[in-house]
Amino acid sequence: MALLQISEPGQSPRRSHSKKHALGIDLGTTNSLVASANSEGPFIIKVSEDEVLLPSVVDYRKDGQVLVGKEAQESPQSISSVKRLMGRGQQDVQHRLSYRLVPGEQEGMPMIETAAGRKSPVEVSADILKRLAQCGQAKLDADIDGVVITVPAYFDEAQRQATKDAARIAGLNVLRLLSEPTAAAVAYGLDKKLEGTVIIYDLGGGTFDVSLMKLEKGVFSVLATGGDTALGGDDFDHAIIHWLEKQSGQAFGQADMHVLKNLVRHAKHELSGQEQVELAYAGWHGTLDQDTYHQLIDDYIDETLKACRRVLRDAQVSIEEITDVVLVGGSTRSPRVQEKVADFFQREVLHELDPDQVVALGAAIQADSLVGNKYGKDLLLLDVNPLSLGIETMGGLIEKIIPRNTTIPVSRAQEFTTFKDGQTVMNLHVLQGERELVDDCRSLAFFELRNIPPMVAGAARIRVTFQVDADGLLSVEAEELSSGVKSSVVVKPSFGLQEREIEKMIRDSHTQARHDKEMRQLKENQVEALRIIEATESALVSDGELLSSEERKMLEAALQDLRKSLSSDDADLIHENSVKLNDLSTEFAARRMDTQIKSAFAGKKLEEIDR
Amino acid sequence: MESFDIDPEALGESYRKLQAQYHPDRVSGLDDTARLQALQTSSIINQAFDTLKSPLKRAAYMLSLKGLDPDKYQQSLMSEDLLIQQMHWREQLEEAAQDENLNALDNLKKTAQTELQDCLAEFKTQLNEEELDKAKALYHKLQFINKILQEINRAEEKILDY
Repeated sequence: MALLQISEPGQSPRRSHSKKHALGIDLGTTNSLVASANSEGPFIIKVSEDEVLLPSVVDYRKDGQVLVGKEAQESPQSISSVKRLMGRGQQDVQHRLSYRLVPGEQEGMPMIETAAGRKSPVEVSADILKRLAQCGQAKLDADIDGVVITVPAYFDEAQRQATKDAARIAGLNVLRLLSEPTAAAVAYGLDKKLEGTVIIYDLGGGTFDVSLMKLEKGVFSVLATGGDTALGGDDFDHAIIHWLEKQSGQAFGQADMHVLKNLVRHAKHELSGQEQVELAYAGWHGTLDQDTYHQLIDDYIDETLKACRRVLRDAQVSIEEITDVVLVGGSTRSPRVQEKVADFFQREVLHELDPDQVVALGAAIQADSLVGNKYGKDLLLLDVNPLSLGIETMGGLIEKIIPRNTTIPVSRAQEFTTFKDGQTVMNLHVLQGERELVDDCRSLAFFELRNIPPMVAGAARIRVTFQVDADGLLSVEAEELSSGVKSSVVVKPSFGLQEREIEKMIRDSHTQARHDKEMRQLKENQVEALRIIEATESALVSDGELLSSEERKMLEAALQDLRKSLSSDDADLIHENSVKLNDLSTEFAARRMDTQIKSAFAGKKLEEIDR
Repeated sequence: MESFDIDPEALGESYRKLQAQYHPDRVSGLDDTARLQALQTSSIINQAFDTLKSPLKRAAYMLSLKGLDPDKYQQSLMSEDLLIQQMHWREQLEEAAQDENLNALDNLKKTAQTELQDCLAEFKTQLNEEELDKAKALYHKLQFINKILQEINRAEEKILDY
């Protein structure tokens, strides 16, 4: 007879059946969104009274206040488009920004100068995530068990890791990092019942992705993906700004960018409906017509189409084999983009679902399924790694271990050997990219395998194993096979944050939360104190004669104390003095009540009062 | 009984079925051990699918099932014909790449693909007849044709600026 298995309490392999709460978050360059799902399907959560888009903008005030979204947008010092800096070095940042960058530690990400000190792009992202999670928490009226955060499919290791770090600082449990086009495919697949070979063309504010996917019976497999993590609608803006500079003969500086960007955004919007638009800035005015606008942006669109061609080639799929083309991302609202993409793929393109919302909706479906809820339970997403991963070999060349567009999770091993007689240490340099030379690829990590037994050159057998998990994050292990000496490393990209930096940020974030709470407490106590002061003062005016002069003196002294403490920032002192005044005035209030009742009853019969 | 032929539909079907069962997303609520196990199992399933769907990798795998190490390569085993063909193709490739002649590259690609198909059919026959040495030599020829095809692709991509 088979023995029944009983698991220890708390270790049950079965999932709990109680409803869990999960969010899907689209952390965008320009705007971010949060969504959730219930048994009926996914829904977007509003971030304010009437907005679903949270501008990805943060304003750090001198007094420690942190504003996120629309309220931050007003400020000329606000930080925007921070997604472009995630997992990037200073030299990678080519755009003109409306804020100042300073070099980070150890060639890491640049830091941003703010009124409240230097902030890492990861911290700024964490503040945006925190706000989104708060909105979700408020809407669902529950603690959040986990989130799925979307990243551009073409995000590399460093960019993915930076996103995960931001979530950690925001105190969120990341169930999965999900590629944006894959998320969009999920939303479309379930809503529009798409099946077949589908292209997801995703042009956002700052990133471009294209994924070729196979959708069959709830299984969404990515066949190939491509893109550019520094190409998006922002580039259209900058092209127009550049054109404005040429037309007006002026050079614009950092201080102009804030106003110019708004101006240009407006112009883009107008040009999707009309032939031309009038523009005026700094004493110059002129007209931008559609043809000129198209000339300005066509190069960028052609760049995206090139990536589409590459993806088709990688997957060995012809244009005729494609069943549907789906447009995602705010920048695909541009009629020019729609026209050129439709031309390229020789068919009508789908953009029925809101291109801004579809990624967050898909993420919400995946999040809901990952915490074990019912909606989308048969869903399975099979993603690929967007860029090849490899190891540096002799002469600055790369040996690819996992080629791009390999389905993840994946584990691959390759053997290497020593170069010199008696060599006991081997340095391993992990890289990501498509080029043949080390210098053209992104360096991810260096690590050492030590204590190799001395042997003649070429005799040692060192097996290097690459493991990429479902989030697309890499860990690398090396082992000398004849001796079993092992060394392993979970790759932390060189451009990422150091562990101690992250820990400090998590601490700071708690401090910030405490600070926020204290500020709120102070405000509440001040309001309460003012209410008491006002009530006592007006009572003294109307019924002061009910008090003995001794009592009145004490009350006035307490009033004075409370008023004085109001101007301090000491929430506790204000509260203490409020309580003191309140206690002292209790007897006074009782007497006033008596008097009022007496006067109300005066000259009335009991039955009248009863009524 | 193993056979070199596969039914791609059935392969895809059982791959999806296995992933639906073992993918890490299926255990995201569970503890670290279960998750690590899922990561490994799912990786192995991906590896298996990748091996079986590619004729070349499948050929290597079939040889290893017969107890041969397909990667142990001996130059001396290479036939003279193959050496001459290799030199010939390489010359054509270099010339076409230099002239940025996409047509010539495409022709070379077609020739190589036909050769690859013939070679695969021959490999299958030899394997079925347990002529393992011959099968292994054919596998090396397959590898060589595949390498040329990759190089043609790279040359094309360079010209097309992919």
